[in-house]
Amino acid sequence: MAPGGQAGGSGSPGSPREGLRDWIRSACRFAADRSDFRRNLIVNLGLFAAGVWVARNLTDIDLMAPQPVA
Amino acid sequence: MEGVKLIINKALSSHFQVTHTIHMSTVGQSSYHFNTTYMGDRQLSPTETFPMLVGDIDSCGSLNAQVLHLVAERIRTKAVFQTQQARFVTWQFDGELRGDDYTATLTLGNPDVLSQSVIVVAHFLQSVTSRLVLGGEMVYHRRPGEEGAIVTLAGKYTALKWVATLNIGYGGAHASYYHRANEQVQVGVELEANTRLQDTTFAFGYQLNLSQANMVFRGLLDSNWCVGGVLEKKLPPLPVTLALGAFLNHWKNRFHCGFSIIVG
Repeated sequence: MAPGGQAGGSGSPGSPREGLRDWIRSACRFAADRSDFRRNLIVNLGLFAAGVWVARNLTDIDLMAPQPVA
Repeated sequence: MEGVKLIINKALSSHFQVTHTIHMSTVGQSSYHFNTTYMGDRQLSPTETFPMLVGDIDSCGSLNAQVLHLVAERIRTKAVFQTQQARFVTWQFDGELRGDDYTATLTLGNPDVLSQSVIVVAHFLQSVTSRLVLGGEMVYHRRPGEEGAIVTLAGKYTALKWVATLNIGYGGAHASYYHRANEQVQVGVELEANTRLQDTTFAFGYQLNLSQANMVFRGLLDSNWCVGGVLEKKLPPLPVTLALGAFLNHWKNRFHCGFSIIVG
């Protein structure tokens, strides 16, 4: 007896719709993952990138420049 | 920085300098340190003079000593000894070979022939271009019944205003970025990931240098919820620097502050 037939309309195994569904499923699994090391690593990598951006773009200031008169 | 610290530097001659440090601590034990530095005649750069002997002894009798010597034009050696009262805890010997575009270093840490234990660290850094340096480090340790080695790859890129480094190894990774925006502002960012301890940390630090006001301010912020700052102010015409510092750990709800007076 053949196993339950394939559900209609699922398309071929390599179809874009299944690929997108798998990607969303793995992203949700990662976001809900309780492995603190991976989440901390992602957060600290983001902070590192933000720190580099701040260092490159927001630090070229002259601290001894005269204050603008209102 | 915590408690009260008094540091007195005195140059006895162009070769010999002594430092007295009295630290009255609020969290640990108070101490007195006596530090001496001898610098020889051979000066390769403003910060490198050979031979150099540095010694530091504290009120408990613990000694910290270093000897740096230029054996040949390209070969430097260093010996480090640390004692805790009457017991040697560290004895380390370094040899460094500096080529035109490479540096090779070999370090022996706590070699003990009787117990057949040693820690060997070997570095090699090669300048690939005028800005890019690539290299690696191998750490080998041996004790009776146990031995192991860890290899780390390292890279450093130097630009006009910034420097970035990256170390990757079996035990984790370390990345840093240093940016010198101008003569007044310097910023550093650091990321460390340790796969064995399953821990990552991020730190952001900056330094503001106001030479017209004889003032330097350093600030720090990290992912362990620590925020800190140190303000150093010179007090001309006296050869005195006053330093005020405070650190707050939000996560552990701890705060400590202190000040230092540096004479000379």
